[in-house]
Amino acid sequence: MKILVFAERNAALAELCSGARALGTQVEAIVIGALDVPVDADKVYSIPAQADVMLEDYTESVAAIMDKAGAALLMVEPTKRCKVIAGRIAAMKGTSVITDIMEISAGLETKRMVYGGMAIRKEKAASGTMIAMVGPGVLVASTAAPVQGAVETVAFVEPSAKIKVVGRQKKPKVSVNLPSAKRVIGVGRGVGKEEDLAMIREFADAVNGEVGCSRPIAEAEKWLPKEAYIGVSGLMIAPEVYVAVGISGQIQHMVGVNRAKTIIAINKDKNAPIFKQADYGIVGDLYKVVPALVKQLK
Amino acid sequence: MQIITCFKVVPEEQDIEVNSSGSLSFERAKLTISAYDLNAIEVGAQLAEAHGANLVGLSAGAANIDESKLKKNALSRGPESLYLVADNGLADMDTYQTAAVLQAAIAKIGVYDLVLCGEGSADLYAQQVGVQLGQMLNVPTINSVSKVTLEGQHVIVERTLEDEVETLEIALPAVISVTSDINLPRIPSMKQILAAGKKESTTWTGADIGLSSPVKSIETIETKAPKQTDRKQEIVEGDSDEAVQKFLEKIAKELK
Ligand SMILES: Cc1cc2nc3c(=O)[nH]c(=O)nc-3n(C[C@H](O)[C@H](O)[C@H](O)COP(=O)(O)OP(=O)(O)OC[C@H]3O[C@@H](n4cnc5c(N)ncnc54)[C@H](O)[C@@H]3O)c2cc1C
Repeated sequence: MKILVFAERNAALAELCSGARALGTQVEAIVIGALDVPVDADKVYSIPAQADVMLEDYTESVAAIMDKAGAALLMVEPTKRCKVIAGRIAAMKGTSVITDIMEISAGLETKRMVYGGMAIRKEKAASGTMIAMVGPGVLVASTAAPVQGAVETVAFVEPSAKIKVVGRQKKPKVSVNLPSAKRVIGVGRGVGKEEDLAMIREFADAVNGEVGCSRPIAEAEKWLPKEAYIGVSGLMIAPEVYVAVGISGQIQHMVGVNRAKTIIAINKDKNAPIFKQADYGIVGDLYKVVPALVKQLK
Repeated sequence: MQIITCFKVVPEEQDIEVNSSGSLSFERAKLTISAYDLNAIEVGAQLAEAHGANLVGLSAGAANIDESKLKKNALSRGPESLYLVADNGLADMDTYQTAAVLQAAIAKIGVYDLVLCGEGSADLYAQQVGVQLGQMLNVPTINSVSKVTLEGQHVIVERTLEDEVETLEIALPAVISVTSDINLPRIPSMKQILAAGKKESTTWTGADIGLSSPVKSIETIETKAPKQTDRKQEIVEGDSDEAVQKFLEKIAKELK
């Protein structure tokens, strides 16, 4: 089976190629411009980099390589830009994209989360070429010696409709270290004001932890960066201890912490779903409980 | 100027039950507008209000999406009229099928300058329908849009990516998918709900838009809830000093 691999970042391309090796017999990579990392691929298709062309405008070029290569599977890195490229190619080829998969078998059966994390769906392409978006860590890297295939330059295909880039601004680097934190304090809507986060930070400091949050705190309130929210559409973490403060425990949030060794909940609503999913909990006002805990823990 | 805002009708999350075998039961689940699509409708409503554009709602799915409460819900949020492609042949569509049906419906509606979609659906969240639809309509298409400004025959959008925000100028007609933090969808007022009842809505079958059900490109093998980790559920009630003390004793070793 031949697998084609396309990614936005070269590091992801290298990882996907190495993982693809364990699934297919022939691995071919698509790159834009020159390749600056070694990738384990039998062949590399290089599309000459164009001045002032955004990544999405290479869609037609990638689609043309697909026709040429005749692969059974196109594996794509799941970034926002790549989601446009994969989707547009799928539309051209009469197929769908299986996005954000968490597992793929040798028989190309994939698994991904649906219904906000409530269930895992096993699916596969019903016909023709399959397009799957595969994140970091999903594939097991091959241990075989990497192959450095020949590079074939393929012509850039002029897109029919270009989008004009007016400006570009780097997002400020956020220093959220949640994935590697041993203890995480998650804040939710139960916290009433942004200033009160100081109290949560003090709590986190007292237990040597990091602060994360539920989606509304990051998206609606914007008190913490988007990179700090936990859940199906945010971070998936597996700390030793997760303390949910003023978080109701909706499934979309909880799938992000299911792998925590211990879950502790502070919530004033006895019926909050979080208590069914916690090892320890206190039914109480966080404004009383948290300061009391901080005082004692210090 | 005509804006079409697409939305998916999905089962209400809270009403989905997990059977003992791990399969899901939708029996008690009411249908609702997918949460992310409320953001798309809101974008459409604000643009229509600011520019005097005509806003049209569009949805495709099984016959049961043609329901008066749902239609009122959609119409009370801003659209002047609604088109539904409601057909049992269109149940459980994959993203390709959905985009194909929306494309055929838009062709039948005839005129449009801008099509808005939510970033992904609350149930399957594949984040693909908007971009596939854009490709099928053969117009510029982009995702992850966190701000839209209409300027004559183009839109200026802000697009939030993993590590940067870009500003793009997109010629109309175009299809854009908006993020869930682009706005806070309105809570329709009583007046808006009452007015919604008087607005026009058109229901088509697949055949009406010249489309029997498009071929499935993804086969679902199984949908099952994962096994939950067993938790101790040792809960202390109350926040008196003693209660907090008791709680602290329980969690101290975890936090030390
Ligand atoms: C498709 C989809 C994807 C989603 N993805 C995510 C995701 O990745 N991550 C995520 O977090 N959410 C996600 N959500 C949103 C999710 O469904 C919930 O809405 C969200 O997690 C709720 O956040 P919360 O628990 O902070 O707020 P709420 O549900 O409002 O809960 C607040 C809690 O605080 C308690 N409280 C209030 N005051 C106090 C007090 N003084 N002391 C103690 N407790 C108090 C209340 O009892 C309540 O239980 C998603 C939703 C959808 C539809």
